[in-house]
Amino acid sequence: MLEIRNLHATVADKEILRGIDLTVRDGEIHALMGQNGAGKSTLSNVLVGHPAYTVTEGTVTYNGQDLLAMSPDERSHAGLFLSFQQPVEIPGVNMNVFLRAAVNARRKSMGLEPMDSPSFLRMVKERRQLVGLDSKLANRSVNEGFSGGERKRSEIFQMAMLEPSFCILDETDSGLDVDALRIVAEGFNKLRKPDTSAIVITHYQRLLDYIRPDVVHVLRGGRIVRTGGPQLAAEIEQKGFDWIKDDVQP
Amino acid sequence: MKQYLDLFTEQRLALDAHAPAMVNAWRDRAAASLAALGMPTRRDEDFRYTDVAAALRPDYGMNVGTAGVASLDAVAQEQVGSRYATVAQVGDDPLVALNTMLTQDVVVVHARRGEQLRRHLRLNNPQRQGVPMMAHRRVLIVADEDSRLCVGIDDVAQGTAADVPMLTTLVVEVVARRGSTVELYECERTDACNRRFANVCADIEEGAHFIHAAMTLSPGTTRNRLRVRLLGEGAECHLQGCAVEYASQHVDSNTLIEHLAPRCTSRQLYRYVLDEAAQGAFAGRIYVAHGAVGTDSVETNANLVCTPEARMWTQPMLEIYADDVRCSHGATVGQLSADALFYMQQRGLSADEARTLLKQAFAAYVVESIPDSVTRERYAALLNQHFAAQAVACRTCQRCK
Repeated sequence: MLEIRNLHATVADKEILRGIDLTVRDGEIHALMGQNGAGKSTLSNVLVGHPAYTVTEGTVTYNGQDLLAMSPDERSHAGLFLSFQQPVEIPGVNMNVFLRAAVNARRKSMGLEPMDSPSFLRMVKERRQLVGLDSKLANRSVNEGFSGGERKRSEIFQMAMLEPSFCILDETDSGLDVDALRIVAEGFNKLRKPDTSAIVITHYQRLLDYIRPDVVHVLRGGRIVRTGGPQLAAEIEQKGFDWIKDDVQP
Repeated sequence: MKQYLDLFTEQRLALDAHAPAMVNAWRDRAAASLAALGMPTRRDEDFRYTDVAAALRPDYGMNVGTAGVASLDAVAQEQVGSRYATVAQVGDDPLVALNTMLTQDVVVVHARRGEQLRRHLRLNNPQRQGVPMMAHRRVLIVADEDSRLCVGIDDVAQGTAADVPMLTTLVVEVVARRGSTVELYECERTDACNRRFANVCADIEEGAHFIHAAMTLSPGTTRNRLRVRLLGEGAECHLQGCAVEYASQHVDSNTLIEHLAPRCTSRQLYRYVLDEAAQGAFAGRIYVAHGAVGTDSVETNANLVCTPEARMWTQPMLEIYADDVRCSHGATVGQLSADALFYMQQRGLSADEARTLLKQAFAAYVVESIPDSVTRERYAALLNQHFAAQAVACRTCQRCK
């Protein structure tokens, strides 16, 4: 269970998050919507420990652990995974070499032996097919020369390899065509275990047709201003954000 | 410089006794050149990045070993021996003069016309330490018309006795005759007390190819000078270098490519990874003579400077006296990408692992461009080993923790 209490965060001395309260129980999917600049990506970056963001107030616990006291790799080992909105290219670092290092780092944190080569390659093949990632891409440098859509598939493929317990999908639908979106979303659903939780950041209802949220939140000015069921996403799709009144008084 | 001239006078008989006539014939001229040129200082343009005088100051003693060209028959010795000291000329460079004066080891590699030497020749120079030592080595490579050969030179330190200075000079002369291909690979894996001054001089004739790659891992002070003359139409050279340095290691690559004939091609790719307080320098000059039309030259130097203490000097130079040429040069100095580091950490790699993977990938780019597959794989494995060993050393060291 992830519990965020009164979270304030700044980037370059500018306050972006102004008191987020959010609880995501095991197995729940929460959609996070809101206009550009509302703080959605900042929240996801803060959760995974991006060094450019400073938490000025509040707490975040994950399964009882103080998340904010952990380094980014420790958070990853604890089960957090961020599918980046704009995944970086890492020239020269082969995708398989990188993923093997990541999988083994995770296993090491769990006290397991490193995975041997044949098992690893078997796993790569199986998970790759699940998200429809071209085998050529798995042998290239991380994200180098990937199209926008390929990068997003690659993110979900990495998720499949690392089997996280908490996923944050930051606009995973952007850059994907309708078919790719379906494949990626179905891949996510297949990979998901009953207790896997997720925060899904999106501007569109489309992704939520595949990945059905239990709760929908609207973020504005660094705070959650409205929380509702799946129908809230449909309403936003129809009417935009302007009609939503601030439920939370400053 | 006087100490070396005195040493030469003292040891002259012993040196001569162990070396063939073609080598001894040049010693006096070399000594005269050295006396005339004097000790290079950092005020000399070619030596501004490496303090050669300081490196030559310690007393390294003199160990006169055996030398010879026994494997060459008399005819070959006559044919090939005449090229000795004509490609690397004693009047051009004080370090070439020093080496020519004191040369102890000579290896001659000769491919006759049309000969394709498929097997690589690897020259291993294990450096035992314990007492101060100097070694002046010489390699002469002659590839006759349409022949092909590949030579690898490995300098490897054995043992880790610190504070025992070691000086090695190396002069490699390459004559690539019409239509031949010469591949020369150098790998240095030494340590802090080693000073290495290498001069590779190559004369490349019409349609001939010269390929050179140098990988420098954990050196002391190294200066690698390359001078390539593209003498005949359609000659090509491909030069590559990568250096991975820590502590206060120092690597200086100084290249001069002379395009002296039409339609010659040159490529240079140099990459440095500088950690801790390491220093690197790259000075690459491309000279395109009058009449060298259709020259195609690309020079690239990219550097990863991982700490605020590390320093890189880069100086790409173009000097063009012909029209209708295609020349480009570029240099970059950058740090490890913070975004890439974070991305990798998000996937579970520790900050150290992420940094190592990025540095290794940066250096491996050069190794991957080595055309010879055997060397490429061997160097990639050595690079891998080097970073793995460094990662272990890093885990046990407390310096930055």
